[in-house]
Amino acid sequence: MALPGQAQDPNVPSFKLVLVGDGGTGKTTFVKRHLTGEFEKKYEPTIGVEVHPLDFTTNRGKIRFYCWDTAGQEKFGGLRDGYYIHGQCAIIMFDVTSRLTYKNVPTWHRDLCRVCENIPIVLCGNKVDVKNRQVKPKQVTFHRKKNLQYHEISAKSNYNYEKPFLYLARKLVGDPNLHFVEQVALAPPEVQIDLQQQQEYEKQLQEAANMPLPDGDDDDIAE
Amino acid sequence: MAGDPEAVAKAFTDHFYSTFDTARANLAGLYQDQSMLTFEGQKFQGTQAIMQKLTSLPFQQCKHHISSLDAQPSLSGGVLVFVTGQLLPEGETNPLKFSQTFHLAPVGGSFVVTNDLFRLNYA
Repeated sequence: MALPGQAQDPNVPSFKLVLVGDGGTGKTTFVKRHLTGEFEKKYEPTIGVEVHPLDFTTNRGKIRFYCWDTAGQEKFGGLRDGYYIHGQCAIIMFDVTSRLTYKNVPTWHRDLCRVCENIPIVLCGNKVDVKNRQVKPKQVTFHRKKNLQYHEISAKSNYNYEKPFLYLARKLVGDPNLHFVEQVALAPPEVQIDLQQQQEYEKQLQEAANMPLPDGDDDDIAE
Repeated sequence: MAGDPEAVAKAFTDHFYSTFDTARANLAGLYQDQSMLTFEGQKFQGTQAIMQKLTSLPFQQCKHHISSLDAQPSLSGGVLVFVTGQLLPEGETNPLKFSQTFHLAPVGGSFVVTNDLFRLNYA
């Protein structure tokens, strides 16, 4: 869903993408990496939202996500329904260096699903470039309970930037083999990621995926 | 007795927002145990609960710009204050519109906030 005055091409399938998560988890940093989206973004003060058109080129043609980003309202409390309404897909973001932001993921998921039923959702653990991470790969289990996709990302280094969009595009188009055929123009990385460390994290994620789910509340973090 | 409600409201809001914007923890002295805060629909009562909420907001600095300020004397000798304006938490680029209502009650020649209702205004 574009904002009034935002250029739209009727030939390009487009989807409203709702971006949620605690304040400070890097939602705005993440959405700003996409350079053409950053250029064509538009702010609507009455709803307090900045909408970034994020284009990707797939083997089946172009796809556009109208990515909704708040003006920081979530720092004060929950978001109003108007932010979620007509959402067709979503990214829930937390910060792997802050346990509290992962603890709040179930609340964001509940608020989102209350308005948007049965939409594809990606859970993103951001800031994996930071050395002292507090939420370890095996502690991230919420996506398994709710059947969400999970990706570890680092907005500042562009690590895995396209992954959440690729998952959502495949779900929305209904083609599990869809792939991106062009590199999207991203802002240059501000930090470097330790790829060896990240491979280790991905391995731990794989191992955790084969373990039975821990009992207990959604917001429990295993120590 | 509030002599001039407008003057009280102006002096109070100047102090409240400049403190909120730079050192929120110092707002504690304005509340007391009967004080109530409704913040984006969440309710808090008492200085401790109110300060716990206000100091846990995930930003340190903030900027308030007041667009309108209205005041009325209340029957209890206090002042009812209604504020609209914009605020910009640190790290954000787009200001948020807000409304806030206070009831100030006279206590020992000064005022305390007995009621504080805060809302962001957006669709």
